[in-house]
Amino acid sequence: MIPFARYLKLSVLVASSLTLCAHGAQAPQHIDVKQLSKKVEDVVVPLPNEVFGALNKLGSVNWKEYVRSDKGTNFTERPRIALLLGTVIADGFIAVQAEDAPAVKEIGQRVQTLARGIGVERSITQHAKAITEAADKRKWENVRQELDRTQNSVQQAMNEVHDEKLSQLVSLGGWLRGTEVLTAVVTKHFSTEGAELLHQPDLLVYFQTRLQAMPEFDLAIIREIRGALVEVKPLIDVGRAHISPESVKKINDITTRLDYGIVTRE
Amino acid sequence: MRAFVKVLFRGSSSLAILLALRLTGFASVDDAQSFALQAAEPYIKEGFQVREDYWGGDLGSGEKKAVRQQLFKGNEYWFWMGTEVERARISVHIYDAEGKLAEQPDGWEKGHFAAAHIIPKSTGSYFIIVNIEESPEERTHWALVYGFR
Repeated sequence: MIPFARYLKLSVLVASSLTLCAHGAQAPQHIDVKQLSKKVEDVVVPLPNEVFGALNKLGSVNWKEYVRSDKGTNFTERPRIALLLGTVIADGFIAVQAEDAPAVKEIGQRVQTLARGIGVERSITQHAKAITEAADKRKWENVRQELDRTQNSVQQAMNEVHDEKLSQLVSLGGWLRGTEVLTAVVTKHFSTEGAELLHQPDLLVYFQTRLQAMPEFDLAIIREIRGALVEVKPLIDVGRAHISPESVKKINDITTRLDYGIVTRE
Repeated sequence: MRAFVKVLFRGSSSLAILLALRLTGFASVDDAQSFALQAAEPYIKEGFQVREDYWGGDLGSGEKKAVRQQLFKGNEYWFWMGTEVERARISVHIYDAEGKLAEQPDGWEKGHFAAAHIIPKSTGSYFIIVNIEESPEERTHWALVYGFR
């Protein structure tokens, strides 16, 4: 039999060893990012609700003002459908923020129609159904998850048939719509913390690089987005400085103009 | 969705042998992803939304890889890494844009699972460094998923 004091010591020893195992080796406090830069993987584009969640924590937002569920225009050009699809999925996240079940359901249907337009409808049928069911039950977390799954399934289906560029346009459409709404909210009730959420220079460079690699998509809207990103970059790439109310307003003007171009026929 | 199904699939003992055969014969980044999702599972109950998108690849023993991610101040993030190589030892750490360790102290490493936690002090780009510390395999598949709340 082990005396209690020895048992206690042994237990402490085992517990500390387990803790050490669980935590592993100490990570260096500093790394040289310049050395890393050549080995860095692509970014995963944040979902619009990632930034909306952060925005919500700064104060209440009347999301109902930003809900949009109209059917909109139908396009035949695949790059235009891809951009619009990203925008509509972002609208889905806005409708969830607003807890607007009818809008969420309409958006679910719209996503399905657009996915059909680029031949990836089968990949999202079950998600569209799940969105409707979750919206009926007002299970908003489930709707958010299904919207993420919808976007992911659409993009995977595109990647599988080597339509990676269309997949990137879906992300871009979502990012533009998210940025439009973010800047609209911050313009209305300006705060430096709200404006700081626009500090996304690497993401902007990521989209610029991707667009440069799409010369075959010679469409007016793509050209317009290319030009607009050049305008936006200096407004958000401010280092440690604050993003000004004027910059936020200007980005809102630019993204509103682009969004109009994405959802309407020229 | 597919990955979550795999996690459930693994839970069924009658099908475990089939999965083991699959892991040894045709191991892939998808398998590594299902382990990363397994590490994330307990956090979903705490309100973390786990992204469907993920990073993955294969690395040699002792090799590292950096991924860059946009994080927003106000959110809280966990990054979970997994590999299907059970005898591998892996780690994940988070650095800010200047290369300064930026993670919370409650990150953990348990064999072929690892996780890092961050509450960003500012909005911007961060580097997530994944490392295959040790592995019996020449190349080890890894996957990294993240969640936020």
